[in-house]
Amino acid sequence: MLGPATALIGFFILVPMVLTIWLSFHEWSSQTGFSAARFVGLRNFEDLFAPISVGRDFRRAFVNTAVYTGISVVVMLPLSVLLGLVVHQREVRGGQFLRTVLFATYMVPMIAVALVWSKLYSPSEGPINQILGWVGIGPQPWLSSPQTALYALIVLNIWQQIGYFTVLAVAGLTQIPSSLYEAARIDGANRVQSFFGVTLPLLRRTLLFSTVVAVINAVQVFEPVVLITQGGPAGSTNVLTYHIRRVGIERAQGGMGSAMAVALMLALIVAVVAIFAFNRKGEEQ
Amino acid sequence: MTARRFGFGRPLLALVIIGVAVIAAFPLVWMVLSSLKTPQESMQVPPVWLPRSPNFEAYREVSDVIDAGRSMLNSAIIATSATLGILITSLMAGYAFAKYSFKGRDTLFAIMIATMFLPPIVTLIPLYRIVSEMGLAGTLFGVILPQLGNAFGIFLMRQFIAGVPNDLIDAARVDGASELRVLFTVVAPAIVPAIAALALFAFTFHWNTYLWPLTVLQGNTDNYPIVLSLGRLLSYNRGAMNAGFVMAGATLAVLPPLVLFVFLQKFFVDSMVSTGVKG
Repeated sequence: MLGPATALIGFFILVPMVLTIWLSFHEWSSQTGFSAARFVGLRNFEDLFAPISVGRDFRRAFVNTAVYTGISVVVMLPLSVLLGLVVHQREVRGGQFLRTVLFATYMVPMIAVALVWSKLYSPSEGPINQILGWVGIGPQPWLSSPQTALYALIVLNIWQQIGYFTVLAVAGLTQIPSSLYEAARIDGANRVQSFFGVTLPLLRRTLLFSTVVAVINAVQVFEPVVLITQGGPAGSTNVLTYHIRRVGIERAQGGMGSAMAVALMLALIVAVVAIFAFNRKGEEQ
Repeated sequence: MTARRFGFGRPLLALVIIGVAVIAAFPLVWMVLSSLKTPQESMQVPPVWLPRSPNFEAYREVSDVIDAGRSMLNSAIIATSATLGILITSLMAGYAFAKYSFKGRDTLFAIMIATMFLPPIVTLIPLYRIVSEMGLAGTLFGVILPQLGNAFGIFLMRQFIAGVPNDLIDAARVDGASELRVLFTVVAPAIVPAIAALALFAFTFHWNTYLWPLTVLQGNTDNYPIVLSLGRLLSYNRGAMNAGFVMAGATLAVLPPLVLFVFLQKFFVDSMVSTGVKG
């Protein structure tokens, strides 16, 4: 029963993962067999931290990915709770409709989303600058300026993923017994107090799960970069998935690319541990 | 729970709902509208929102550059085979994890679930090499094969199979049914909604996925799924500036998962709710 799944996951996920770690200590062209790999110890990792272009490009991609991930998570999660409250309420109709519309954006291919937004952002022919013009805001460069391009991609990410996290928030809200709200009301809590006293603490598990998933999703950003910005302008949207693939596969520097992948994996482990620690600290208070 | 509790007045709340829905829907509506414009219209500054005489010229142009039918078929082959494979392997493994007890079960399960949180880029470089050495680079089978074991599927199936009564399973075993027969004729029919949800998730995911096919197909455009062909449209389009033509391609790629979702959203959302909370 377990044979097929174990074999497939083992051979196509676990073995490659171990190979990534192994290759990160080697110099290896991804155009050649694994046996051609030459052991170089920690040299790949030293290069990542060295003041040479390989290291500088990697560190830039790392910082870009961290900014992209951090801002996405910090904006998206509170927004998902707010929208979850709107979808979950029964007072005004349209909550379910809103959920459908929001979640629909999550189901469409990222590549199509990227293409559409590249047109929306178009400085002269795009509707976003047109709308801004109506309210007296001048045209913005969006994807064509190093100052704004990464943020433009963050907006795109939030637009696509917010529906998924809203549905998760609604799922969490459904689990909160209404008797707790009654109790809070009897104790004289107002709406804001019962939100911070009842809703938020009981959403803790949901938010923990959402945060981890949002981080993992955000570091995978690839399509808008490979298709629209190619990491530019001036390296401002060069992110890790794009950069690692470019180094490890397009330039065939498999060992160096693997070292970058290992660094990403370690950073993710640190981030997830930190998220759990932060959560536990909050729980104790 | 009422709106009043959160301090919304009714009219304000209605406005919020409409406003958010408009923002969420706008890019997709814009995409479809643009795909119906003439090339002149899509180049206008400032942009016109509604095509004056909607036409399918842009869609015809798409077919001149990429074999759209072939690409859609490739996407369908990839998404359907991956879905079927994932359903079978996930049902089997989910059944084992839910109903068998054996040494190391929980450890093995934990390892499998952990792979769910591994970004694909971490394994991409060696995986690309492995699949190349198997002689599968550039082939649809090379795209599909590594996707057939899926941790999320195993997790989902285990959650739901755990709820199937043991009596039901034992009764079938007493009748002399093999374990596979028990699984597919007794257990599976009892969890049809979960299977439907997994099928829809898997289909959509593998219709949409980009990084792996791009890497493994290595420019063999005959085997490109529609999402990859869209990338070709854009590079072809770069000089021409005809946004309508790219939007027509994007519309084609978006339609199948979107239609599936609209008709079957109940399964999607219900299963998300159950896994999100239990997860």
